[in-house]
Amino acid sequence: MGRRRRRRRVDPADAARALPEAIAALSQTLPAGPSPETFRRAKFDRPEAAPALWRLLFRVLSPQLADGASASFSPEAQVRSVKLALRTQGYPRRALAQLPDDGSQGGRELLLALAWLLARGPLPERLLTQNRVQLGDEMPVCECEALASPGPPAPSVEADGCVDIRHLQWLMGKLRFRWRNLMASQQEQCALLGKIHSYTRGCHSDRSLGHLSVTETELLRDPEGGRQLLRRLERENARLQAALEWRRRELVFWRWMDTVLGACPPEASQPTFLPRIPTPGTGALEPLVRELQALQGELREAVEARRAAWEAGVGGRGPQWSAARTALREAVGQDLAALRQACERGGGCSLAQPHGPHRLVRTEAGAPGGPGLRAPEVIEALRSQEARLEVVLRQLQGQCRQELARLVGAPPGPVWILPPGR
Amino acid sequence: MDTAFTLLAGSSRRLVAELRDALDSCAERQRQLERSLRVSRRLLRAWEPAETLAPEPTPGPETNEEAPSAACIPSPQDLKELELLTQALEKAVRVRKGISKAGEGNKAPSLKSGSIATSPATRASYPPSTSHRAGSRASETKPPRGILQTRVPTKDLPERRLLSVGDQACMGQGAGATKPKSGLRNEQIVLSAASQAPEAFTLKDKGILLQLPEAFRKAASRNSRLWAQLSSTQTSDSVDAATTAKTQFLQKMQTTSGWPGPRLSATEVEAEVRHLQKACLLLRLRMGEELTAVVEQQLGPWPEGRFPRASLPCGGGADPIWSPQLLLYSSTQELQTLAALRLRVAMLHQQIHLEKVLMAELLPLVSKQEPLGPPWLALCRAVHSLLCEGGQRFLTILREDKPAD
Repeated sequence: MGRRRRRRRVDPADAARALPEAIAALSQTLPAGPSPETFRRAKFDRPEAAPALWRLLFRVLSPQLADGASASFSPEAQVRSVKLALRTQGYPRRALAQLPDDGSQGGRELLLALAWLLARGPLPERLLTQNRVQLGDEMPVCECEALASPGPPAPSVEADGCVDIRHLQWLMGKLRFRWRNLMASQQEQCALLGKIHSYTRGCHSDRSLGHLSVTETELLRDPEGGRQLLRRLERENARLQAALEWRRRELVFWRWMDTVLGACPPEASQPTFLPRIPTPGTGALEPLVRELQALQGELREAVEARRAAWEAGVGGRGPQWSAARTALREAVGQDLAALRQACERGGGCSLAQPHGPHRLVRTEAGAPGGPGLRAPEVIEALRSQEARLEVVLRQLQGQCRQELARLVGAPPGPVWILPPGR
Repeated sequence: MDTAFTLLAGSSRRLVAELRDALDSCAERQRQLERSLRVSRRLLRAWEPAETLAPEPTPGPETNEEAPSAACIPSPQDLKELELLTQALEKAVRVRKGISKAGEGNKAPSLKSGSIATSPATRASYPPSTSHRAGSRASETKPPRGILQTRVPTKDLPERRLLSVGDQACMGQGAGATKPKSGLRNEQIVLSAASQAPEAFTLKDKGILLQLPEAFRKAASRNSRLWAQLSSTQTSDSVDAATTAKTQFLQKMQTTSGWPGPRLSATEVEAEVRHLQKACLLLRLRMGEELTAVVEQQLGPWPEGRFPRASLPCGGGADPIWSPQLLLYSSTQELQTLAALRLRVAMLHQQIHLEKVLMAELLPLVSKQEPLGPPWLALCRAVHSLLCEGGQRFLTILREDKPAD
């Protein structure tokens, strides 16, 4: 009868190949991926599989390291780093923490850890995105990355001791100076980019791009660098292809992982006390609590003022009043729903909104251009964001002014003459 | 009096740490910019020829359009043409030296000698279209924009494209099928020789002659195709089945582990804190608009149920899969405005954050101290400057002296 190839199981030879092929694809898309044979040995907890898997996990958990940099970490250091990283992310099994630091054992547990990481999120894609080859001149259209930075490290214990407030003033001045420099350098870079783009117009084989980027021009200027770039690009292409393969075939891997998990003895549920890892987030909790309390206070004040004004304005409690109040309630309800949604979406940026780095493309003025964001729109959006942020800053400063005035006391205390330009 | 300016140890550490962090992130941005600036400036100067290239051999005749960057073999005819060309160039250099010795230092002579150099080459390699090219190239009335540039309609461009200085012959194959390989190499020799002569390659003059190598072009287009495929394979039947399998696997992992129930990992705590911080900023922005009528007038009433994307800091969440997106600009000014605004927004975010931190540490300091002595007033003045004027301006405090008894 016809070839019913709906499921691979129909053909046993195919089924036997499916798993190693899936693992091979996975291995090729990950950095430092071991062979499918290593995976098989790991299922049976063979010791020779462990070192390769420790290395793989180390590379996967510290993607910011350059390709060669992991060699500078000793095997023990790699093992400890992997253990810490997994604990920080909440890896649920105790057995991993109990593996010896010399990296000689634990194939099966490491396999489970890898699968756990893969199951939690799009790991291969994330790794590829973080280390991708940038061919164009890119500019982010949002401040995602900047805001996501973790903030200052916990201040060192042997700190500077007491500090003079004038030192703070000096630091602020230094910061202002750095921003000015940054602005100037940025303007120069844009001018240079503009020139490079217009001098190479029409050179790109891709008509939607039109001109070359700095990277592309540089590869023409420096052929050796160009060859290296080409090699990196080809390596990335191979990994991208493997990632697509992996996504097509991964189901069989998960079925196999079920059997691996089944092969493990169940962990006894006695609590063991592992050393506490310092939770980095706790330093930021206190200011967060303060901020929420401050917001609540400000909101309360503002609401009372508004309500009083509104009730005075409406005057009387006739039918007009209840209609107005209902309408107001509805509007506020919608606003709140939108706000809640925005907050739940992780701060309001859904993936549909412009996000992340974009490749700069210079078009001739007046030309309609193809798909892509237009600079005037982004400028518009940034201007309104700037305006809103300025409002917030002024308000905070205004609060400080009021508070200080209150602390200094009413007249006949000293007279404050504010600086000019207000 | 100086002791009044001194802050408590705890506050000091926190404030200094925050300010140092702000300074460091600025410095990091500056470093990245400097790196880009170096590269860009170098590109806009005259390019050094990498090495004098020996003629790279090409593979057989026109059949193999996409020459790999492996070694290629010259044919005897090519070598002969090369010989002719080299002689012509040597003559051109002699001619030019003679002319410049005679004291005429302007560009026209070099243009002429350059054209002489190229004409034999082009005549040798492009018999069919010689007249057209030789004519335009030998023109001395052309503005001195380099000997090898021609202004041609777009359709001719593929045939005219020349390699960049120092590029490998095999990497720089032209796209036009009519272009003989030998001619390509000859042009390359011309370029190398020309670059040894004073006519160095500048992007401004000859940038539009550049062409990306074939191997690179293929790899780059494959690259963007693969990225697009990867970001579109997010929803399909097989994906759903895999998602279910993954969820089940995670659950089993949890239940077979020795540790009780789901705990919040450190990473999750951090993520939650960041989430809340962004939510606070959103709330503050929203409140800011409500309380400032001016802003509403400028920006229009708040549309219900929809947040204009302008106002929102990006959440990001899980890293989205990058796929190539473009940002089109039409003038350098526009690009500069955009970049400046981006920096301004980043700076404002930082200023707001610092303002909150400073408020938290400095206001209690002022309220705790005994008021009204001169040291305290000096402190107030300093704090006011930091908190209310961004440290840029200071106020003046007038104090009435007590009348003498």
